[in-house]
Amino acid sequence: MGWETRERGGTYYTRSRQENGRVLREYVGAGLIGELSAEADRIDRERREVEKLKEKQDFERLATLAAPILELSEAADILTRAHLIAAGYHCHKGEWRKVREHYST
Amino acid sequence: MSTTALELSGDVKERIRELRALSDKAEGGDKEARRELRRAVRESAPEVIARCSDTARTYRRLLAETASGGDMLVKEAISERATMLAEEVAGENPTPLEVLLAERIASLWVLVELLEALHAAYFSRHNTNRPTVTYLLQMVKFQESANRRYLSAIRELARVRKLQSNTPAVQVNTQINLGAGERH
Repeated sequence: MGWETRERGGTYYTRSRQENGRVLREYVGAGLIGELSAEADRIDRERREVEKLKEKQDFERLATLAAPILELSEAADILTRAHLIAAGYHCHKGEWRKVREHYST
Repeated sequence: MSTTALELSGDVKERIRELRALSDKAEGGDKEARRELRRAVRESAPEVIARCSDTARTYRRLLAETASGGDMLVKEAISERATMLAEEVAGENPTPLEVLLAERIASLWVLVELLEALHAAYFSRHNTNRPTVTYLLQMVKFQESANRRYLSAIRELARVRKLQSNTPAVQVNTQINLGAGERH
């Protein structure tokens, strides 16, 4: 998006967008029309940035809230594994099996 | 909102690290490590498990508060439902490990419910402020991850129960002395 300077003088407001992988440039207008469109685009851009920031903060808050469960889950996994190994099991390709007698003491 | 208070304390983390290191060595065939692991599981693990379970309960209350949106009645309802779920899943006379795994299931259940409620709210027809596609994708991934953990926690408890049933924790030897009058 921006102002394009013409060879014969004057400026023209254009905006670019992607469509089917191609960049298309839309010629909006010069003078007052161009200025109003540029201002509308700027407001729209700012609104999107504010929304994006709010969404980022919302997600971070949720991730912070969920973080202790990840820690607890990991702790529970370690404690379960320790119990099973102490009880004479070993994990073979994700499956817990009883250790053969001559290995366990 | 601060979650620092919910984090496991330093000494609990340290003991968990020790148990992990011993488990790794024992699984690698180190017999001394296996003996040491048995001792650690017998002596220090029950306290570690109890403290993890306490943390899980506290964490669940915080999650319930968030899920309720500040409504005390809803918060109590979620919290109570989760407690009932944890008790129901733990069953009668659970081992400390079963209690911890049941607490984990209940906590993950609250998290999954919270994410589902948020997801439903995004698509509600009353919601005029729809989130962006990027945000929704991020949330869906998060929700999938929580669901996976929840199901995995259920499987883990079932596995522990199955294996524990094959490994009696206490061996009871009963000796019956027949009275002289019963001998023939």
